[in-house]
Amino acid sequence: MSVGDILIEIIFLIGALIVSLIIVIKSADVFVDNIVEIGSAMGISQIILGVTASAIGTSLPEFGSAMIASLSGSAELGVGTVIGSNIWNIAGILGISATVAGVIATDSKGLKRDALAVLGTGFILIFFMLFGDIDWKASIVMIALYLVYLWMLIKAQKDYAKETNEDSDDKDKKTKISKLESINKKQAALALLGLGGLIVGCRILVYSGTELAAIAGIPEMIMGLFTLAIGTSIPELVVTLSSAMKGLHELSIGTVLGSNTFNILIGIGVPALFMAIPVEPLSLSFDAPVMIFVTLLLIGLIKAGGNKLNRVGGLILLATYITYAVLRLYVLA
Amino acid sequence: MDELAEHTLEMAQGKQLEVIGLYVVDTSVPFLTPANVKKLMKEELAQRGEEILDDLAQKFNKPSTYMINLKKVIVEGDPSEKIVELAAQEEVDIIVMGTGKSIVDKHLLGSVSEKVVHSTPCSIMLVKTVN
Repeated sequence: MSVGDILIEIIFLIGALIVSLIIVIKSADVFVDNIVEIGSAMGISQIILGVTASAIGTSLPEFGSAMIASLSGSAELGVGTVIGSNIWNIAGILGISATVAGVIATDSKGLKRDALAVLGTGFILIFFMLFGDIDWKASIVMIALYLVYLWMLIKAQKDYAKETNEDSDDKDKKTKISKLESINKKQAALALLGLGGLIVGCRILVYSGTELAAIAGIPEMIMGLFTLAIGTSIPELVVTLSSAMKGLHELSIGTVLGSNTFNILIGIGVPALFMAIPVEPLSLSFDAPVMIFVTLLLIGLIKAGGNKLNRVGGLILLATYITYAVLRLYVLA
Repeated sequence: MDELAEHTLEMAQGKQLEVIGLYVVDTSVPFLTPANVKKLMKEELAQRGEEILDDLAQKFNKPSTYMINLKKVIVEGDPSEKIVELAAQEEVDIIVMGTGKSIVDKHLLGSVSEKVVHSTPCSIMLVKTVN
């Protein structure tokens, strides 16, 4: 193959990567939206739907990629995507958001719960990694833990609704009656379309990722840790940055921490049900610990800023991410 | 908001006035924002707007301000556009709004007051607000 051919193939693959990312993100959005509508028509409480949708919605691209990567024999790409996403979410996305918006305030009760969840999740991951491949036994533990966490989120939202006197039960009954008639074919079709787009998009995404890695001579792990991790985290970036700029602080930090918990417990947990996920030594000795480190750094910066993440904190997080990237790409690889 | 109310009340001394308290829910979201998040943001901002306007109403609801009639308005859209639109529509005499972002913030977050100043249909009073 001539240099020209290779160049064309690279451009084509990069194009495929970008297009498939957009398809994946848009499809996830359509899927979640319509599943919520259908769930609502079936009488599932608005609170449960809302919390679940928010928790899972922005992380479907990571989950889809990890799942498909594992099923198609590129599990390293999958794990890299998840761990890389988590590091990017905190150091990159929160770093950028705090730097641009100037300040991100936090709700200390929710922060405590979510931060502990993320930290706990990180330690649990490392724990399982120490035993070698992550297999179905670890998977069951991780999925169960996520369900517990989700239940806690739902309970917290229910308590909040009671406090603000929203009669959620009454509301639900009324909407149940009127909406049962309207589970229409359109919503079901759109949900399926969204799911299909997600699967196809992720397949193309993983494919272009692995091919680019092969052509450029980059390990799949690195492709996952950086390119796919940042790409699949675009929804988190968009939500976190714009809500930080609008002063909707809870949404900002909550999105990132909730995503990180989901990414590990479900993004690695579910694929592990189907096949043992291999553990690359460098992930165990460097990437996963860095993930825990940036989480602790975030908590420290928030405490130091008086329960707020300020611009200085944001810049420190960004600097940390750049340091990590440089080390991982040039020094350790 | 406190400073804005203060300056408005000062100007209003002894006159019979109609004051419109406007809050614009900024509905602009970046490309690829999930739909349910957009909805959530709108709701939160609308709720915040109501709280701010209720707060404002309390300041204008005292015996000393009986000649001032406060109208509360919440609209959705681009803040500077909506402010100018309403001012033109209601033929207001003066817009009172806050200012005071640092240069860094202005560059990163934009300035609504700057945009309004350039297209205002009437006088405008910029009050330095402490954030």
